[in-house]
Amino acid sequence: MIQLKTMLNCIDNSGAAIVECALVVGRKRHASIGDRIVAIVQKQRGASDAGMGSASAANKVKRGDIRHAIVVRTRKQVQRPDGSVVKFDDNACVLISKAGDPIGTRVNGVVGAELRRKKWSKILSMAPAHA
Amino acid sequence: MMLQPVRRPLGPLKSLLRRNRQAQQFVARSMATETTPTETAASSIPPPISTLAAAKKPTKFHVIPSKTPGKPIRTAFAVYAPPPSARAAHPNPLISYHAQQIRRLDRTGARTALFSKKNPDAAKPGDVLQVTTNRGEPFAGVCLSIKRAGVDTAILLRNHLTKVGVEMWYKIYSPNVLGIEIIWRRPKRARRARLYFMRKPRHDMGNVEHLVEAWRRSRNVFSSNKGRGTQGKGKGKGGKGSK
Repeated sequence: MIQLKTMLNCIDNSGAAIVECALVVGRKRHASIGDRIVAIVQKQRGASDAGMGSASAANKVKRGDIRHAIVVRTRKQVQRPDGSVVKFDDNACVLISKAGDPIGTRVNGVVGAELRRKKWSKILSMAPAHA
Repeated sequence: MMLQPVRRPLGPLKSLLRRNRQAQQFVARSMATETTPTETAASSIPPPISTLAAAKKPTKFHVIPSKTPGKPIRTAFAVYAPPPSARAAHPNPLISYHAQQIRRLDRTGARTALFSKKNPDAAKPGDVLQVTTNRGEPFAGVCLSIKRAGVDTAILLRNHLTKVGVEMWYKIYSPNVLGIEIIWRRPKRARRARLYFMRKPRHDMGNVEHLVEAWRRSRNVFSSNKGRGTQGKGKGKGGKGSK
């Protein structure tokens, strides 16, 4: 249930670490996995952060930038058409451009398989695992 | 703690016996809960109340009193017996419907037995289970709770994938679920039915991949020792000897 002011982890290598939801695009209520939001970068990933290797990719966004993002994990459980339910321990997103292309080049972390249904298979193929 | 043996004199013996029995079964069991797909839904729907023929025959005709006592007038209006009560014929339709659906979805009864309260070797909260679905990788995780609700019976599994906690509910009778396997037994019975405390970092099991790996390795060893050959993962029909 991502809504105004929700803080999410950003799990790509765009350079953002924590973003804040400013708007849920195209929905009257909260956002779920696979929904598009407008996010403000609140915390940048430091250069000392382990795992984020190349310096060129690490500075694509700065603190205070406003970007679009796709929600990939939610704490709120999401029900699938077959009755199974998935729930993650955190809220996470991946930054995208307005055209819908991911800003980062890698996704570090599991993402929800709902992305396939919502036509975000580009993010799904970048992810190391999906549940 | 000192009073424990007094209160449950057979406590340790019982758990020992149980572990021994499970160790024996563990060898022979592979994909124990595979259910055969159902092509023909030969659902035995209870036949509708087939008393229409009986109801058609008028039992008697309506009579009205006439002036001459003792000779009432018989009218042309037939009086039919009331139809038999559906409620009396089917005392609890929902229970019988659930039983019918379970019979259809779980032909062998293995799934039911795997989560039955009467089965001493059933999967219990705290065990690590692996669910194989018809799409994607199998999901393994520690079972936090079992929701018993007839054909809607579901299990909640928790695991860590890429250091993020993931919880999945699976319907055990779902046709999408190809198999449920017990990867690891909790050494001591959990004293709660819902292990939601295992979400807290202090009690969290973390990733169960090492248990799955150990289970896979042990299964391969046993299957090759017995000379059965390698069994196809997910379709171990020949391997379910004990059940």
